Amino acid sequence: MLRESSQIAGYKVQLSDVTSGLSDETHIPQGDLLVALSEAIVARDKDAIADARSILFQALGNDAVVDAVAVASAFHGFVRIADAIGIPYATAAQGGDAPDVREEAGINEFYRITSSK
Amino acid sequence: MSTVSFKNSAFEVREDLVDAHKGAWECISTAGTWLTGERRVAVAAETRKARERASCAEAREALSPGSVKISNTTLGLLTDAEVEVIHRVVCDPGRLSELWSQSIIGMGLSEGEYVEIIGLISMVMILDTCTLGLGLSDLDLPEPKIGVPTQYVPPGSKKNAAWLPTVEPGDTVEEDGPMYPSPKAGYILRGLSAVPQTLRDYWAMANIHYTPGQFVYQFDRSIRAITRPQMELIAARVSALHQCAY
Repeated sequence: MLRESSQIAGYKVQLSDVTSGLSDETHIPQGDLLVALSEAIVARDKDAIADARSILFQALGNDAVVDAVAVASAFHGFVRIADAIGIPYATAAQGGDAPDVREEAGINEFYRITSSK
Repeated sequence: MSTVSFKNSAFEVREDLVDAHKGAWECISTAGTWLTGERRVAVAAETRKARERASCAEAREALSPGSVKISNTTLGLLTDAEVEVIHRVVCDPGRLSELWSQSIIGMGLSEGEYVEIIGLISMVMILDTCTLGLGLSDLDLPEPKIGVPTQYVPPGSKKNAAWLPTVEPGDTVEEDGPMYPSPKAGYILRGLSAVPQTLRDYWAMANIHYTPGQFVYQFDRSIRAITRPQMELIAARVSALHQCAY
């Protein structure tokens, strides 16, 4: 979905940034601020969250902060449903999550995939 | 527009998000399909306990998943199998396996209970992460409501592509109630379908945080205050940090 939406919007994305952290090769506006907030939220680091939220607020405003937090929160649920129910990873994005994309993103190194080989 | 959960936020929170939180906690405290309101609130409490325990980080860092022992301190409210599910799914979801899920069923947890608990864990994780992200403390857990679980089993529920039974869109019946936004509903939407009420409760809340089903595959638009690529960058990074291959 990141690849599809970015292609349509004309933004360059380096898929390996998904697993290794943001590099200069991904050009989504305010991507660095959004990733910093996401990483702080996953780590449940209150100080880092406050810092990242404050910077994002200055850049994009109240509603963007709320929606960025909401999206990050949503994926704390989606991942648990997918992984605990055992949804086949090959069905992600309605089957559009091709093996080459997983390889490029570094997802093939995840336990779920390596343990199934 | 604020309710108790957002009244101290420094941010103006959209009304549908506030309502979604209020509705979700109401659902959590009410008898479900397999669990009473008391057990459902106990699942929420144990989800929080698992998240905050030092053993949570220890579990993620252990070379072998499941090697960190989990003790049941719920004083009989939850079984050992339920506590094991909660701690593993909260702390180390990327290293679950079909063998492990079968072992949980083998400990006496029914497939319906398992699915309902996964839905509850996922709801609590979203709700609490959202309040954390907005600079708020966890909301007090609700008082459980008295009621009897319905024990409804969808007739179309069967083992399909996932580890647990699901109901394919073509196998739904009227008695199941509303299940899917379209016959082509993605697999993630089918995950909780063995317990239709849990599926409805979960997605009613989750869609308000991310985006409703009818917009998911419209990659050229966003109904949120950030663009779709911005949303998907967050989604992909959060998923990757959880080691989620889906």
